Amino acid sequence: MVDPVPLLIMGSGPAGLAAAQEAVRAGVGALLLDEQPTGGGQIYRALGEATGERQKTLGTDYAAGAPLLTVLSAQCLDHQPGATVWEVSPDGTVYYTRQGQARAVSAEQVILCSGAMERPMPFPGWTLPGVMTCGAAQILLKGAGVFPASGAVLAGSGPLLLLLAKQLIGARARLAAVVDTTPADNYRGALKYLPGALRTPGYLLKGLSMIRTLSASGVPWYRGASGLEAIGDDAVAGLRFKVRGRQHEVACSNLFLHQGVVPNVQLSRSLGLEHHWDGLQRCWRPILDGWGASALERIAVAGDAGGIMGARAAEAHGRLAALGALNRIGVLSETERDRRAAGARAVYRREILPRPFLDRLYRPHPDYLQPADDTIVCRCEEVTAGQIRKYVELGCLGPNQTKAFGRSGMGPCQGRVCGLTVSEIIAQARGVPLEQVGYYRIRPPIKPVTLGELATLEQPEDA
Amino acid sequence: MPETEFAVVGGGLVGMAVAYGLQRRGHQVTVFDEGDIAYRASRGNFGLVWVQGKGAGMPDYARWTRLSAALWPEFADELKRKTDVDVELTQPGGLDLCLTESELADQVARLEGLRDALDGNYPFQVLDPGRLRGMVPEAGPAVSGATYFPEDGHANPLFLLRALLGAFRAEGGRIENGGTVSAITPTRGAFRIETERPWEAAQVVLSAGLGNAKLGPMVGLNAPVKPNRGQVLICERVQPFLNYPTVQIRQIGTGSVQIGDSKEDVGFDDTTAPRVVAAIARRATRLFPLLENVRVVRAWGALRIMSPDGHPIYDRSTEHPGAHLVTCHSGVTLAAAHALVLAAWIGGGEPEIPYLETFSGKRFQLSSAA
Ligand SMILES: Cc1cc2nc3c(=O)[nH]c(=O)nc-3n(C[C@H](O)[C@H](O)[C@H](O)COP(=O)(O)OP(=O)(O)OC[C@H]3O[C@@H](n4cnc5c(N)ncnc54)[C@H](O)[C@@H]3O)c2cc1C
Ligand SMILES: Cc1cc2nc3c(=O)[nH]c(=O)nc-3n(C[C@H](O)[C@H](O)[C@H](O)COP(=O)(O)OP(=O)(O)OC[C@H]3O[C@@H](n4cnc5c(N)ncnc54)[C@H](O)[C@@H]3O)c2cc1C
Repeated sequence: MVDPVPLLIMGSGPAGLAAAQEAVRAGVGALLLDEQPTGGGQIYRALGEATGERQKTLGTDYAAGAPLLTVLSAQCLDHQPGATVWEVSPDGTVYYTRQGQARAVSAEQVILCSGAMERPMPFPGWTLPGVMTCGAAQILLKGAGVFPASGAVLAGSGPLLLLLAKQLIGARARLAAVVDTTPADNYRGALKYLPGALRTPGYLLKGLSMIRTLSASGVPWYRGASGLEAIGDDAVAGLRFKVRGRQHEVACSNLFLHQGVVPNVQLSRSLGLEHHWDGLQRCWRPILDGWGASALERIAVAGDAGGIMGARAAEAHGRLAALGALNRIGVLSETERDRRAAGARAVYRREILPRPFLDRLYRPHPDYLQPADDTIVCRCEEVTAGQIRKYVELGCLGPNQTKAFGRSGMGPCQGRVCGLTVSEIIAQARGVPLEQVGYYRIRPPIKPVTLGELATLEQPEDA
Repeated sequence: MPETEFAVVGGGLVGMAVAYGLQRRGHQVTVFDEGDIAYRASRGNFGLVWVQGKGAGMPDYARWTRLSAALWPEFADELKRKTDVDVELTQPGGLDLCLTESELADQVARLEGLRDALDGNYPFQVLDPGRLRGMVPEAGPAVSGATYFPEDGHANPLFLLRALLGAFRAEGGRIENGGTVSAITPTRGAFRIETERPWEAAQVVLSAGLGNAKLGPMVGLNAPVKPNRGQVLICERVQPFLNYPTVQIRQIGTGSVQIGDSKEDVGFDDTTAPRVVAAIARRATRLFPLLENVRVVRAWGALRIMSPDGHPIYDRSTEHPGAHLVTCHSGVTLAAAHALVLAAWIGGGEPEIPYLETFSGKRFQLSSAA
């Protein structure tokens, strides 16, 4: 039996690390769990181990995480890397596996900082070997310094696409092409959000610098591309697409795709929290108060897991969530909480200003929200968009019914990859707003756990 | 003028089997069902077509279950023909594995009781560990033996639901889903169905699972059903090791292993409980040690629909002729009998079998009055 802990933080990205800093500052012994072998989350992944050379390749935003990572050596923080959380109960019990052993810990307050995941980009051929997401490619670059020296195509849209292009160019990879699918009218649509974005101009300047690097590199850069199709027999060999009606084909040995990121809501969903549909970001987010607190007394959500906000806002949000939680367990008075929160709240407000502009600008191309009938949407069970549409004709109203009919969302990824696409397809096929269609009912374990681990699980109630 | 001849309220395995059975006999049927998320045993069950052990205390239930198991092969073929959906039926006989001597003794006693009640016609076998390992080499050293019944089998319950829906639609049946039926009012020899808009039906079949408890009394029928939670774990695919379905574990065609099933009285709570899941995992790894390193990819909880004695309720209202009620706790097993036999009875045909009246809900009123 493990003693209850006052505060459990899941995720050691900017949100989780900042939350841990606030706990340490308040003298509270928090438990910090993350499935990765090192702290840092997506953006600062493996920063602690990265050589100077790699840091240079990855840029100043990457190196900027160093001060946050120092919290990991704080005396009163119990940092457990390599801990995969597979269930969180509404009563604040967290179940995880570490070093082959399943454990359960009760916490007075739990802050879920599980971050974002990439929005899938389904089109014909996207499941071929050699096709992966830009995020996965970046993970290889950050973690192992591995990247293809030549023959890679980057396709899709969004800041991470440009960032990866810049990072790969900096690492002297010879890219075959960058194929940008951002629809031309997104620029017009985003214009009205530009004044807000200009109030925190850092992001736009960074974007311009990425664009400059890409332009100067001489890498073929196609804009306004549509009708993507990856070709190849056993592995990807090329990408076909159209630009202004003209057909193009680029040969490639690696294809990296990206069309933005969305909150990773598997845990908040599995807890049964209410989520609302964010029409601008086209994703679900859990309903939270100004301290990241959910409707469940012991559960808060911080950072990108609560809505896409970017690393710096996530850091500020993590602080706010920790201060809220410290107040709820009686460590900080309301006055003290608010005093400590003032700085973070100002940063948070400032850092989210550019979001509406970015969200509108990089809204995914409709082709990849509503893939053609023969495109696979659920990779685990190989279910196509057309099959989902057929189940709607048979009378299915939502994703849980199409799941029961055709197994979409039943594979090992638990619907993480196909969830949004399936709901989008059903909404369009039924002609109703997506809110009415809903999402998969997510059940724990949200990550695979072996029967042997489950069988030896120590339960907090066993004492 | 009623808009539909039959209104079937509830589109789970039970409602769809009856609706399909009625429609294929030429009746005109509309099914009313709820939306994407509802209490649905049909979406969370274990997929056994199971005979062994059923009907203790009510031999007619054993007969009925065996009839359905016997009808299943032709029923599966019919669904395949009409919808191209293969419901993956196999009936190689099933095992009930025991971990202690007393567990085995209890089980044998139960099956002997059934055999006596059925005049000796109940061909179960008792397997000692040696014989069992001959059939299932992977059974662990902790297994003390098993009982085997040759008529047991399993199917894919989700494909069954889809096939029933597809076949029903193909026969011209109608589905109205998305609305809960809030009330049913008998009106001048017909029934008013209150949903998103009111409907009128000449006859009504209540097959709303747990919803029947509330709907039954509106047409003079008694269905005191209660929820009973069962949890099921789905594991990743492994090499075939289990050629027979068992009460606790079955391996399906793709290699996935399904493990169940707890029986918990927790009210309307269909979430999963880690404590129970851990107990299921402990039992499973003792039965089959090779499962230790197999990963659980999904788990769920679902609510069974239990009548006070665990047996089905089939009833028609004397107060309001034209109102019927159907509920049971083994909707996969009984699907064939529901579609091919029970539907004929509901449709007004002569009962092909003499004992359907045994399943009337009146048995509960009598026992509570006694
Ligand atoms: C693939 C990818 C790459 C990105 N690259 C960049 C970039 O280079 N630059 C940039 O500015 N922004 C990048 N972003 C955006 C950036 O991730 C966010 O803005 C920021 O990291 C959000 O911080 P966070 O703390 O909310 O989440 P994250 O940094 O994502 O941290 C979440 C942490 O939770 C852990 N976790 C999640 N689920 C579990 C579980 N079940 N058990 C245990 N641990 C778990 C993860 O391992 C991770 O460490 C990227 C996003 C993605 C998805
Ligand atoms: C864990 C578990 C394991 C099981 N294993 C097996 C097995 O191995 N073999 C077997 O034969 N059986 C098994 N069963 C039992 C089997 O699943 C059920 O007997 C069967 O699904 C019951 O079907 P149903 O249609 O009566 O109920 P349900 O599937 O619950 O369907 C009832 C339907 O009625 C609808 N409804 C309810 N109220 C209303 C209303 N007011 N208006 C409109 N619609 C309404 C609901 O939305 C639902 O769709 C298992 C059950 C569970 C829970």
